Amino acid sequence: MSDEEMDFSDDDYDAYYGGEFDGDVDHVDPLKNDPEYMDVAFLIDTEVERLLNESVEELSNSIQVTPSLAKMLLHMSNWNLPEVVARYRQDSHKLLTSVHIKPPQPPPQNVFQDGEVTFCPVCLAPMSPDNASHLTCGHTFCKDCWSMHFEVQIMQGMSVGIECMGNNCQVSAPEDFVLGLLNRPQLKEKYQQYAFADYVRSHPQLRFCPGPNCNIVVQAKECQAKRVICVNCKTQFCYKCGSDYHAPTDCETIRKWLTKCADDSETANYISAHTKDCPKCHICIEKNGGCNHMQCYNCKNDFCWMCLGCWKAHGSEYYECSRYKENPNIAHESAHAQAREALKKYLHYYERWENHSKSLKLEEETLAKIRERIQEKVMAGTGTWIDWQYLLDAAALLAKCRYTLQNTYPFAYYLEAGPRKDLFEYQQAQLEAEIENLSWKIERAEMTDRGELENQMDIVEKRRSTLLSDFLQV
Amino acid sequence: MANIAIQRIKREFKEVIKSDEAQKCAINVELVGDDYRELKGEIAGPPDTPYEGATFHLEIKVPETYPFNPPKVKFLTKIWHPNISSVTGAICLDILKDQWAAAMTLRTVLLSLQALLAAAEPDDPQDAVVARQFKENHSLFLETAQYWSHVHAGASRGNSEFANKVKCLMDMGVGEHQALVALSSCNWDMERAIEQLFS
Repeated sequence: MSDEEMDFSDDDYDAYYGGEFDGDVDHVDPLKNDPEYMDVAFLIDTEVERLLNESVEELSNSIQVTPSLAKMLLHMSNWNLPEVVARYRQDSHKLLTSVHIKPPQPPPQNVFQDGEVTFCPVCLAPMSPDNASHLTCGHTFCKDCWSMHFEVQIMQGMSVGIECMGNNCQVSAPEDFVLGLLNRPQLKEKYQQYAFADYVRSHPQLRFCPGPNCNIVVQAKECQAKRVICVNCKTQFCYKCGSDYHAPTDCETIRKWLTKCADDSETANYISAHTKDCPKCHICIEKNGGCNHMQCYNCKNDFCWMCLGCWKAHGSEYYECSRYKENPNIAHESAHAQAREALKKYLHYYERWENHSKSLKLEEETLAKIRERIQEKVMAGTGTWIDWQYLLDAAALLAKCRYTLQNTYPFAYYLEAGPRKDLFEYQQAQLEAEIENLSWKIERAEMTDRGELENQMDIVEKRRSTLLSDFLQV
Repeated sequence: MANIAIQRIKREFKEVIKSDEAQKCAINVELVGDDYRELKGEIAGPPDTPYEGATFHLEIKVPETYPFNPPKVKFLTKIWHPNISSVTGAICLDILKDQWAAAMTLRTVLLSLQALLAAAEPDDPQDAVVARQFKENHSLFLETAQYWSHVHAGASRGNSEFANKVKCLMDMGVGEHQALVALSSCNWDMERAIEQLFS
């Protein structure tokens, strides 16, 4: 590079890239162009508490109630602060009654009369005003009974919304009332834990990470069916439904599909065996890698594991084995044939769904093999460890793409036949073909193949994001 | 058993026995054993219902944490009712579950059960077969419930048509209660009951 070329000033740079040229080019954050992108924050419990307490404080200041009551109000109103304030100003009695802070009728007279002994209605022992307590409903019980009541409720997993002990009384006990009457520190702690979980669950912008023993809370402004990867435990889940991520299929469809699979899996398992025969030499083959491009070790025949057809026919234009061909005359067939056709259709999608799930698992093993291979190559002096890093990146991308591919099958199964389905299946076939291509290349890559492999990675990711941006609905 | 539980049950036991309702023989309670852990309840079928004239026996088990947890109650007498299992006698009633309050007593439980007999909640059923009949063929439900009250709970009015059908199945070697259940759940359709029993 010559000095002249190097020597351009900041002004030039601004003139070329800045201001008025902005309209021509999309300067949107690339992350936001990604159909799967979602703006989330990962919070730990103290941060969540701070967030909740901010709302509580704001409410308790603006309508002059105790923080404990403010917390209950917010919990019962999905933490919609402006709405609570508006409803409170409009009709405070109606609001407090509807969230069970106040009873619908005014409380009865004081149960303690001069010169008469009053008995606790629960334990039937005499009680005095000092050792008795009541909520806004006026139902008075001795403190020991309150404490026992809370203990039993907490042991059953209750926290916010523990009700009064009175007959048909739905008034709930606020946090400070419960904590003031509990004696054992462990119980107080348990109550606070459960209450915290209840507050997070009632908050529309917060979600617990579903990962085992993970305490991270995910915060998002909007509830969308998009991918969240927990920063702490790396669990991948759908923000909306909390189950495994499932784009492009939506939450309801994937639930329907998984239920169906759980019901029908016996039949499907019976039919889809784990091994297949080579279509040419008929030797029995067990699939031990993720790639669907198979090469028989016996006769060197290249074929597709899914359709057992010749692999050469699987050029990108003709890759059709992801597509289910519906029998056009099915409406005229007998009920029996229709049932058989329905099962056949389901099995077509199920086999592919299952197959990609297996491939994903096998590719985890492939990853271990890649690591071994890199180790060997580096030890043998063929490149450095850094030279081989691209293989690991490729494997990670492969897993991500195959995961999406797997989830396209339930989507296609429930998609009605028509041009939209044709387009979807075309894109799905394209994606599948490129994924198999990538998988094949990764398993056999040498250092010199880096350029080609990176090219392939780019193609696969483009296919994936095209499919998602066309069909992902959140 | 915890002290509070025993105190309470002893008091409530007396409360039931001395109540106005007990004087009118509408509810009653007896001890089973001598430790107040288990009791036997009795309620009379309310008037103007298919359960009129019948007496139903209940099993009442008092948990360790009573009265902070509800007593466990089920019907010992067979009964045809949408909220009570015709097979096990299990009861679907809110105050025996999440709507229980520590201030409630045995008397309130027995009276609530009696009220349940008079006003079923078919939309919150324990026995789906009965609930369906209740909603879709109410007059047949009333007759069936009445017949069950007669056969199992001592109500006087019988039903000769139903009795004949049951007898007919018994002649085929089916047990009496089994025949009653099959016929009741098939809306007294002989053919369907036979199909259900022998398929």
